[in-house]
Amino acid sequence: MCITPGRKRWLLFSPPPDVGVTDMEDQIRGHVRYSLGKSFSGATPRDIFTALALSVRERAVDAMLETEARYQARDPKRLYYLSIEFLIGRSLASTLWNLGLMAQAQKALSNLGLDWSRIEEMEEDAALGNGGLGRLAACFLDSLATLDMPGYGYGINYEYGLFRQVIEDGYQTERPDHWLAHGTAWQIERPAEACIVPLYGRIEHGLDRHGQYNPMWMDWKMLIGVPFDMPVAGYGGRTVNYLRLFSARSSQEFDIRIFNAGDYFQAVEQKIASETVSKVLYPSDSVRTGMELRLTQEYFLVACAIRDIVRRHEKRHESFDSFPDKVAIQLNDTHPALAVAELMRILVDENDLPWEKAWEITQAALGFTNHTLMPEALEKWPVDLFERLLPRHLQIIYEINDRFLSLVAARFPGDQDRLARMSIIEENQPRLVRMAHLAMAGSHSINGVSAMHGELIKSSLAPDFYALWPQRFNSKTNGVTQRRWLLKANPALAALITRTIGNGWITDLEKLRELDPQAETPGFQEAFLAGKRFNKERLAKLIRETTRLKTDPASMFDVHVKRIHAYKRQLLNVLHIVHQYLALVEDGVPPPMPKTYIFAGKAAPGYWLMKQVIKLIHNVAAVVNKDKRADGLLQVVFVPDYRVSLAEAIIPAADLSEQISTAGTEASGTGNMKFAMNGAVTIGTRDGANLEILAEVGEENFFVFGLTAGQIARQRDSYSSREQIAKDSRLWRVLDAIQSNRFSSAEPGLFSWVARLLVEEGDHYFHLADLPSYIEAHQRAAALFSDNRLWPAMAIRNIARAGRFSSDRTVREYAAGIWNIAPCV
Amino acid sequence: MYIVTEQIGGVTVIVVPGTELDASNYSEFKREVSDILAASRKVILDVSQLRFADSSGLGAILFCFKQLNETGGQLKLCGLSDRVRMAFELIRFHRIMDVYNTREEALAAFQSAS
Repeated sequence: MCITPGRKRWLLFSPPPDVGVTDMEDQIRGHVRYSLGKSFSGATPRDIFTALALSVRERAVDAMLETEARYQARDPKRLYYLSIEFLIGRSLASTLWNLGLMAQAQKALSNLGLDWSRIEEMEEDAALGNGGLGRLAACFLDSLATLDMPGYGYGINYEYGLFRQVIEDGYQTERPDHWLAHGTAWQIERPAEACIVPLYGRIEHGLDRHGQYNPMWMDWKMLIGVPFDMPVAGYGGRTVNYLRLFSARSSQEFDIRIFNAGDYFQAVEQKIASETVSKVLYPSDSVRTGMELRLTQEYFLVACAIRDIVRRHEKRHESFDSFPDKVAIQLNDTHPALAVAELMRILVDENDLPWEKAWEITQAALGFTNHTLMPEALEKWPVDLFERLLPRHLQIIYEINDRFLSLVAARFPGDQDRLARMSIIEENQPRLVRMAHLAMAGSHSINGVSAMHGELIKSSLAPDFYALWPQRFNSKTNGVTQRRWLLKANPALAALITRTIGNGWITDLEKLRELDPQAETPGFQEAFLAGKRFNKERLAKLIRETTRLKTDPASMFDVHVKRIHAYKRQLLNVLHIVHQYLALVEDGVPPPMPKTYIFAGKAAPGYWLMKQVIKLIHNVAAVVNKDKRADGLLQVVFVPDYRVSLAEAIIPAADLSEQISTAGTEASGTGNMKFAMNGAVTIGTRDGANLEILAEVGEENFFVFGLTAGQIARQRDSYSSREQIAKDSRLWRVLDAIQSNRFSSAEPGLFSWVARLLVEEGDHYFHLADLPSYIEAHQRAAALFSDNRLWPAMAIRNIARAGRFSSDRTVREYAAGIWNIAPCV
Repeated sequence: MYIVTEQIGGVTVIVVPGTELDASNYSEFKREVSDILAASRKVILDVSQLRFADSSGLGAILFCFKQLNETGGQLKLCGLSDRVRMAFELIRFHRIMDVYNTREEALAAFQSAS
């Protein structure tokens, strides 16, 4: 069955003519019976979810095969997006929306006596990522398919996603997230396309038949990478690409040993050990140097992906001359940087290309995206670990480095310091391989993820590389897909927008500009506020169910949801809450409007300080929420287990969006875009993409505060948190309240780390410097929130001017500026 | 392990038995083939039955190559499956050993060289 008759893009809410509600009902019944082996009357909600997902998958697969046939016929250049994380979340609703089947699915379920919202909740989040980097990758796949571009994601099929967060006595505890425990309807196993992944071993030095040096990689252990494809439907269903995730399997070698070596248990242990490679996602986006399993994961991804990409190319093309014309490979941060060495190995070792030719091809095919501004977060791996795990790759990296440093020396003669700074090998004890340097040396494009980030890479993070190759550096401001973050997550607002300006915004977010004249129109404002109220009530219900706290949807929902990290400054938010609480109970100054502070986010399990921040939030919440004087005025909530599906419920309900990282630390951020798109006004610093949101929406629609990145850089050496405290008694009062156990009466000294961090250790992230202006910004926001004409106008202008922050725009920029790919229709 | 050999025009063809050459049987293979190699100058290793070779199995093939080299002999391979070829190229054996698609092509190569 072809689901795209005439390749026509379906209109929003209008079902494709050949797929009826009755068909869908029949398919759901059929899958319950024949795929799950149950009678319909005995089916659980999870069974119904699976049956519906399988029905939808059939349609997605039809379109995927048609898409592939189209690509085969036209042989376009394809993009391969390599990422150690894909934070997909749930797939059912977004696939239904994109295939134009949501209305039928809801009707079919209704006819079967079932409720869509209950069935939707049965789906596990595919939490195969930590945060922004992985979610960006997932948004890109949606945009690539919607834009009809041949683009695929390549990642790891982690059996356990990011941990589930459970709060016990205010502390974060972690539980495993076995998201595949009930299987998944979305994955298609491709055992015939499995590939081998060699690891460990040694180099045997020899000569080839021409007398040339011929290093032979001997005695390796072998893993098998088995691909699982997840269809990714573009909006309108015309193009369905896929995300290819690899699972590690033990090789036959291990299986045979089970039967032959006699030691059954040892053999099984080895088998299990080999399969741990794809067992679990590392719960932090910056992993401590020296973790062998993590480097193994990175090579596993790269080896499987490059093997697959080369195999596809060889099937169709006689030589590698056309490789860069047909293949673009984007490295999502340094985790897949080994692709540089792996592609070189395949071209030189396996296909006998001269080094220079192979290097030209590699550089032309690869692009590298940097995601951090913090030098300490850049990956480095010990040389001795490399030598043990990937001996041939280390040889290749040495060769790359030797040639690269010769180039640098020729360009900057006599500059030995520069050579040491730029070398791919850091000559410390232990010696380290700098993965960012490898990625930059091997890529034709090096991009940041916001305008500010792009500039800071050039000036601060990699100035030597910029001096060598200025033409390679560029920035591509991140974006998010409006199909998930507005159409799916906020049906009330999506329907209002479509009623007002039509549905063009779903594929062209710039069309939201047409809402600008509506910002002060009473009727539109009322409809917007009604939708916001609906979303807030929905969230209040969820909060009630998960935390037992009753929140007031009439209060300002002030939302701070994201990874808990020092530079993101959840602590600054807490300091402000304490200030506001003290102003209320000690000064008798209530906030201009009742406020509900909503937090959510996970801290890395090993990040003690940030787990303490979670505890502090809970303890402050316990005091504030129990204090009768704050009743109806202030409330603090921490919603546990932040994940994509929870974000979809929280973000549309937000009035105020907290984007308060220390200026110069957040590369871009994407949460800030999701909030603006959903009509929350930002309180934020001049950091990352906040600056671009500020430029779009205007200072009058954004509560900006705090030092700039330049000011912070200039003050870094002379900054004194004690001076800040001396200047402003509010700061002292806040710190004193925490230090004097006001929020830890049962455990005195529990939060003594706050004063230690902010006073004794120098307040690295400038909390105290920014707190006064943050307090003023909050006062402005709270005062405006009580104005029921001005506030909705600001919120609506945020929506109307969020068009630039669609990942469709971002992907178009990558396609034109880096990948050189085009729509294939 | 029972190894079949054939003599064709002064060339010894050794058929690697079974579908796997790996950690479970590479030692036995080396033992069995050692005497045959010692008595031969021109050898074709026919691996067309082989579907899987791990690094141990490939190491056994390298052993054959080296043993013949030491005695002034020559080794050619034929019949590599895609998967075996992939592992073969990974180690860069194709840089030191002559590989042919079929036994006939390998024989022809020996004959044209002589």
